[in-house]
Amino acid sequence: MAAALVAADAGAIEMSKYSRKNDRSVSVTLAAATCALLGTGVPAPVDAQEEPKWDFNTSLLYYGEDGDRVQDASFKSIIRRLFVDDRSLSVGITVDTLTGATPSGAIRQDTAQTFTRPSGNSAYSVPAGDLPLDDTFRDTRVALTANWQQPAGEKGLLGLGMSTSKEYDYFHLGLNANYAHDFNNRNTTLSAGIAMARDSIESVGGAPTPLSAMLDVGDVSNRNGDQDKDVMDIVLGVSQVISRDLVMQVNYSYSYSDGYLNNPYKVLSLVDGDTGDTLPRTTPLPPDGGPSGQFLFENRPDERTQHSLYTQAKYNMDGKVLDLSYRYMTDDWEIDSHTVDVRYRWPIGSGSYLEPRLRFYTQSEADFYRLSLDSAQDLPAFASSDYRLGNFDAITAGLKYGWKTRNGNDMSLRVEWYTQSGTVPGEQLIGNQAGRDNYPDLNALIVQFSYRFSR
Amino acid sequence: MSGPGTAGRELQVVATEHGWAARFRAMGSPCEVLLEGGTREQASITAAEIAAEAWRIEDKFSRYLTGNIIDRINTANGAAVSVDDETGNLLDFATTLHALSSGRFDITSGVLREVWTFDGSDQVPELAAVESVLARVGWSRARWKRPVLALEPGMEIDLGGIAKEYAVDLCVCIVRDSPCEPGLVNFGGDLAVSGPPRRRKAWKVAVEGVLPDSADHLIELRQGGLATSGDAQRFLLRDGIRYSHILNPASGWPVPNAPASVTVAADTCTQAGMTSTLAMLEGEGAEKFLEREGALHWCRR
Repeated sequence: MAAALVAADAGAIEMSKYSRKNDRSVSVTLAAATCALLGTGVPAPVDAQEEPKWDFNTSLLYYGEDGDRVQDASFKSIIRRLFVDDRSLSVGITVDTLTGATPSGAIRQDTAQTFTRPSGNSAYSVPAGDLPLDDTFRDTRVALTANWQQPAGEKGLLGLGMSTSKEYDYFHLGLNANYAHDFNNRNTTLSAGIAMARDSIESVGGAPTPLSAMLDVGDVSNRNGDQDKDVMDIVLGVSQVISRDLVMQVNYSYSYSDGYLNNPYKVLSLVDGDTGDTLPRTTPLPPDGGPSGQFLFENRPDERTQHSLYTQAKYNMDGKVLDLSYRYMTDDWEIDSHTVDVRYRWPIGSGSYLEPRLRFYTQSEADFYRLSLDSAQDLPAFASSDYRLGNFDAITAGLKYGWKTRNGNDMSLRVEWYTQSGTVPGEQLIGNQAGRDNYPDLNALIVQFSYRFSR
Repeated sequence: MSGPGTAGRELQVVATEHGWAARFRAMGSPCEVLLEGGTREQASITAAEIAAEAWRIEDKFSRYLTGNIIDRINTANGAAVSVDDETGNLLDFATTLHALSSGRFDITSGVLREVWTFDGSDQVPELAAVESVLARVGWSRARWKRPVLALEPGMEIDLGGIAKEYAVDLCVCIVRDSPCEPGLVNFGGDLAVSGPPRRRKAWKVAVEGVLPDSADHLIELRQGGLATSGDAQRFLLRDGIRYSHILNPASGWPVPNAPASVTVAADTCTQAGMTSTLAMLEGEGAEKFLEREGALHWCRR
């Protein structure tokens, strides 16, 4: 073969000119000549690509609760710049637009009810028998995150980040750091992370004095200034490669919140000890309006300590991936929760997959959760009727379809249904309350479109 | 045989996160071999075989040494020299490249360095000086009929443009046949791998940028070889014209508008190196050439 490639110069130059018109002809001749030189067989084809320097991850999310409750349209974009030596900087922005109504915490009544809005500037009414919803819930949230990641030594990975978000009545500022260390030929990774946040609650109209009454329109005598809270989270984790097809992870998380943990817009109905009906107001309704009954602003403890244990297994079955996880969470508000999440990624064709998902969630109520406050008894120190602190079960069922575009970018569409139903403990039901639908069940639709590309 | 190359030939083998790394110097470059498999002893044996092979190729084909085949050819003063098979294979290969490049790749063009020194200065040679050296350049004037080569008196050959990539590929074969597979062989930035690494997605290779210590591209290599032609530090600058160190053997002058560097990934290091060299010789048309050939490439201007 080598001999055949030895050509007289004149002819070779002719061949070269000819080659100009043909794609890859120089490469083909060169490959053959290289084989002859090295005396090896045909080498395996090259497999190389430039490591991407930029990674863009963008998603649009719609979350909508039925019955004119919360609707959220969210845009999120994370831009990641990758540097040499596995260092990277990512910057993210999220913009949420929230509208809709949210349960105020007051109970249903057989008569129409009126409430003063959180601003204290006007009142709204709720028809007889309806769940009281505060329809003034409207906000735009802008959140920014920045994270730096770099190797620390041969086997460590260090991450430092910050986050901030602003909405009309809330400001968040957080810092976080995490470290992961590989052991055992990278089959075991231990990780630890800490996050600290300082949040300011800048309630519309001012934060109400806890357990004070909802006042008439224009009366702000029970309103206080901005409040704040501090949150610290610590996560310790271990992930272990069990076999080529099985990876497991266990995380323990600790979270401590300190400060103003109330929801400044939530109230409880103060009810008659026998009938369970909301006590009517004691003074005539002023012309500008005010509450039809007696409602007290909630009060939660100013500390909360949560512990959670999370385990996850990812099992690869010939390209189909089963992702199974379980989380147990307990806190000193006596909320215990269990979450089981199952996803199954099922490849269809090249680059496409279907991923059904099923998630079950159950939690017990906080020890200060009350449907209402019994006027016949002393007021408890802490009370909230926030349905998210109640006893409820939730199921999420969804399907995600992901595919690769012609230029190699990833797209996915996720549709999920969320349903939440709860019960109020029987011993909390007073008189007429027993015959009513007390827990505000919730159904929501989640649609998310994601687009990711690298360059 | 003696020369600067044989002094201080040391081989270091150290443990790394993924296996073993061997370091030594050969062919004027720092050489590194990464091995993922085997015991320390096996890695030391394999590394020693690889270093010995690199030094053998250096000794045999370096134009700076006396007494080797290149020296015998270059000092034959017009007489025919009979060469061994390996040298014959390299000469055949050089002949093919000469043809493929319309004569721009020429192993006899090394004598042009007598008038061109690319040290960043403005020392552009006189036209007459270039013309006089050019009379001793041209592979088409050499009489090569395997196994005999006769050059005209005053002509010289230099296989330095092929030998390093050739050595990388031969050393990758040693890795492939060893218990230390998979591995990566890197001789001064020209490199090849025996296959994908064990626990990572790919071997990560930084291609140096124009400034020292600045990596310009990070390439993930799983199979094949990678080579870079061009050296941003070697040029001449006069009257605002930058003269690259890539010389056109037909004119004796630098190829105009050559990229600062061309990196190519191909099935073998040799193929990658020759493709990047041919691209440099295209000057202005380097990118067009690489596109037409469907080469995986990174060009820097």
